[in-house]
Amino acid sequence: MKTYVIRRLLQLIPVLFGISVLIFAVMKMIPGDVISGILGVDATPELREQLREIYGLDRPYVVQYLDWIGGVLRGDFGESIRTGEPILPQILTRFKVTAELTILAAIISWIIAIPLGILAAVKRNSMADRFVRVFALLGVSVPNFALSILLILFLSLVFNYFSPLGYVGFFEDPIRNLQIMILPASILGVSIAGSVMRMTRSSVLEVLRQDFVRTVRAKGASERVAIFRHVLRNALIPIITLVGMQIGSLLGGAVIVEQIFSLPGLGQMTLTGINQRDYPVVQGCVLFIAFVYVLVNLVTDLLYSYIDPRISYD
Amino acid sequence: MRHLLQTIRDLWKDPMGRVGIIGVLLLILLAVIAPLAAPYDPEQMVAMPKLAPCAEHWFGTDNYGRDIFSRILYGARVSLEVGIIAVGIGATAGYVLGLVAGYFEGPVDRVIMCVMDILFAFPSILLAIFISAVLGRGIGPTMVAIGIVNIPVFARTVRAAVISAKGLEYVSNARSVGVRTGAILIRHISPNVVAPFTVQATLALSSAILTEASMSFLGLGIQPPDPSWGSMLSEARSYMEQAPWTALFPILFIVVTILLFNILGDSLRDVLDPKLKT
Amino acid sequence: MKNVKKWLSLSLAGAMLMGVLAGCGGDSTEPSAPAETGAAETTGEPAAPVEGGILRFGTDSEPTGFDPHTVSEEASLRVINQLYETLVSTNADMTFYGELAESWEIPDDVTYIFYLRQGVKFHSGREMTAEDVVYSFNRVLGRTEAGDIGALGSSASYYGGIASVEATDTYTVKFTLEAPNAAFLNALSNNYGAIVDKDVIDENGDLMRADGGTGPFQLVDWLPDNYVELAKFEDYWEADRVQLGGITYYLIGDESARLAALRTGEIDIANLSSTNVTAAEAEENLSVLGYQTNDYIAVGCNLSTPALQDKNVRQAMSYALDRQAIINIVYNGQASVCSMVPPGLGHWSLDVSTMDLYQYDVDKAKALMEAAGYSDSNRLTLTLAAGLMDSLRQAAVVIEQQLSQIYIDVEITNLESGEYVDIWGKMSTPEAGFDLMVVNDGAGTDPNRSISFFFGTGASANVFGFSNERVDELCALGLATTDEAQREEYYNEAQEICIDDCTKLCIASPMKYFVTSTSVHGFSPSAADSSNFRDTYLTQ
Repeated sequence: MKTYVIRRLLQLIPVLFGISVLIFAVMKMIPGDVISGILGVDATPELREQLREIYGLDRPYVVQYLDWIGGVLRGDFGESIRTGEPILPQILTRFKVTAELTILAAIISWIIAIPLGILAAVKRNSMADRFVRVFALLGVSVPNFALSILLILFLSLVFNYFSPLGYVGFFEDPIRNLQIMILPASILGVSIAGSVMRMTRSSVLEVLRQDFVRTVRAKGASERVAIFRHVLRNALIPIITLVGMQIGSLLGGAVIVEQIFSLPGLGQMTLTGINQRDYPVVQGCVLFIAFVYVLVNLVTDLLYSYIDPRISYD
Repeated sequence: MRHLLQTIRDLWKDPMGRVGIIGVLLLILLAVIAPLAAPYDPEQMVAMPKLAPCAEHWFGTDNYGRDIFSRILYGARVSLEVGIIAVGIGATAGYVLGLVAGYFEGPVDRVIMCVMDILFAFPSILLAIFISAVLGRGIGPTMVAIGIVNIPVFARTVRAAVISAKGLEYVSNARSVGVRTGAILIRHISPNVVAPFTVQATLALSSAILTEASMSFLGLGIQPPDPSWGSMLSEARSYMEQAPWTALFPILFIVVTILLFNILGDSLRDVLDPKLKT
Repeated sequence: MKNVKKWLSLSLAGAMLMGVLAGCGGDSTEPSAPAETGAAETTGEPAAPVEGGILRFGTDSEPTGFDPHTVSEEASLRVINQLYETLVSTNADMTFYGELAESWEIPDDVTYIFYLRQGVKFHSGREMTAEDVVYSFNRVLGRTEAGDIGALGSSASYYGGIASVEATDTYTVKFTLEAPNAAFLNALSNNYGAIVDKDVIDENGDLMRADGGTGPFQLVDWLPDNYVELAKFEDYWEADRVQLGGITYYLIGDESARLAALRTGEIDIANLSSTNVTAAEAEENLSVLGYQTNDYIAVGCNLSTPALQDKNVRQAMSYALDRQAIINIVYNGQASVCSMVPPGLGHWSLDVSTMDLYQYDVDKAKALMEAAGYSDSNRLTLTLAAGLMDSLRQAAVVIEQQLSQIYIDVEITNLESGEYVDIWGKMSTPEAGFDLMVVNDGAGTDPNRSISFFFGTGASANVFGFSNERVDELCALGLATTDEAQREEYYNEAQEICIDDCTKLCIASPMKYFVTSTSVHGFSPSAADSSNFRDTYLTQ
């Protein structure tokens, strides 16, 4: 097991390296540059050259890349060209918002999906089952952005409600923080609830068929006890790993939801960075997002193989 | 062929599958007959702006005075075209890469899958935005961008299927009697990966359509005046209050289309995946 | 079972349709009547002001930073205008009043002497003196040791002609110009003329995230992509006048979300486009403030495209543009047809409504195109760059339709802002990759800015490569005299030449709108000053 973990960690190195090269190359290929944005309309070619020199943009790409990645390895993501602020501390601050948003979304999706998934499995092929399945598919099919704008309008017109403004961190004021996060997190949560529901249904079905459940039932435990004590515990593993796998779509969805609800998260920071062509910011953000994603995937994989002995470590 | 017919028959037996088949066929029909069925030119400003739905304009008109019904019909074309071609690109490239990786394993496999992991590590919408920023805007680049985003899922699915198929007796037999690599791949392994592959393709279609809509919604996908449901919604979002129909019809069609492909994919999975059958 | 599902899907679709129909009741499809302009005080007894009320402002985009010498985009300026002040400032009628300068005199046409207000304090508590004025202008002109290169980008066109700035005593500053410049006072009132605190710059490197101003409000907190919090500066030299306790700018990028936030009372004021003003007017607790801007939209021709070098083609496009239709669709009717000196500049603006090239005449346009060799079988294809801004994007769509009538096929690309700025600078070369571009330009508050900056040979905002000797000459003449009637004559002639040339086809100058809650009083935006909250107060 230990060697397996080490090997998997080593395998991450080429992936992360490739990600960093790809993102660097893409930023160089995207038309438009940060200098035009900084210098106003009066920019002369000389000024432009001078600024490029100051930011080191006149050096060969390889040198620029090595300089950047060298810094990243030392924990220094460089500074924003636009504001001069160091990037890593900003990313970490922003990540707290995005992480909270995705975690809340995951929890909300469980709250909606797990009971419904169990219901669908237990009452298999009933009306309830079909209803739940359609509902699940519907949740997956409504784009985040459409749901967001519809809900904002609907809530303001009917309930005179608007998601509170002025972000505060969870640890500063948990109640206000939750008031701010609840609507965006629910929208994100609904979008993955469908898959969680499907997964719950099928894993509960699978566990229900297994021998030990039959034994428990035969011993006379009531159906309900059997389900909660045994089935759920066994079915929860694939469900949790599914959420791990969905971290990608959650992070992607967060980009859009953060934008619509003006949450100061990592997705918003990335989009602003792209708009302003602030290369180090975009490179840093995307590398960080990819890193988190790869790491979460690894942990899920490990968790899965740890729990399910059928998976071999080769 | 017989296999295919059997699959369709099984699908038809499942009420959800039936909804999926009929719905998707209807959508395709809508897209095909758009030029005949659309009462107006989707790009012409034919009436007063922001007319509510009425007899002449079933879905009303948008802020330019263009007929929304006609734009929805042509938008179906754009959505399906982008979806199908993007998935085609992703599926073809993913299929070949997955097949090669799964069959040869070893260093070839490691390199291919490493590249796939790299692509997979980006949230898909961000990756699509990046690629389209490099390639440019419009229908073509959007298709390619979404296609590239889709490669890793297919490569993984196919690779996994190939590896499990290789363990099957008849494949190792064929190998031991000296059948050539290419022949084994085509004759013996490919049929085995068709099932998971088809399911994946149907689901990928729905996510491709969603990605296109999201990109166009952000203004970075399909360019005006081409009608795309995503860009129609993006235009309409400022007028939601005064002219809700300008936003609701595109939303309705985006949701229903994605829903239909999901329903089809879901039933297909039930039909093709024997593990779930009871 | 089957039926249940059918019903489910049907009722779902039904529910959405009901939403549609419910929404359209009583909705008018005509462009709405013009909203009242100027200050819209509510009638009845004025309620008592809320002591130290905080004005909550819904802003549409995120500021890049608050350095008045380097930043010029609107979201940043909204905040900068609260933090910083200039020597002189502009009244709504484009005359000047002293802000940090109590008075000034102009002994000869290249010397300006300013007598500073005494006892003005920076937000750090230090008194502002003549030395600070000298430092500020040296910074803008790149004459400080630090260089402050970022400040240079936009300074040349405003302050290029300053020979020297000296402090003759603690409260007196003397500017010497290289040549007479009738637009000099106007240039001083620009944000680049803000007086800044040297110590703050020394400490922070620049002012992007720091506050070195003397203005009525000071920077308290900025959570990027979320809010900017300002509080009243208690030592402000006119502190008694300021009644607000502070202003908080919340970023709400989505227009309909801003309207929703206004309706629910989550914010007190926001900028909205003319399309949503109708909806806001229907609300009892909201009022609408409109003003004519100095911005205009135009479509510019890349003169490196051979087909566009033919003046016939450019003029044909001018005849083919139905400007009123563009105004109706893009601005809901709330804009005026304009030249490059839009009506917001008052008497400087030329009345274009009767000018030949502004008359929508497809036949004439077709004839010109035919003369240039085009026909239905030989159509001209042009690429058009637009942006993600609503007005640019929508104008592009209408222009595409209108030009299609005169044998021109337009292919639109909406560029996101980073790309847009880049291509804008290249629009006189084939490198741009576009033949046409829709632009939204700010004409400034002096005709010299409107013309020489955008049409002077080699001028920095003259991106389409227009060049005309007579226009250059007229601009020089217009600067050399302070006789307003004489200047007007020069600039009128220059406008006519630029209009006739059709390199940049000016379309319309829009109204802009603020929607406020009815509890907001004492705010009257104008083109010259659209973010002055010195007299604003809130009531219950």
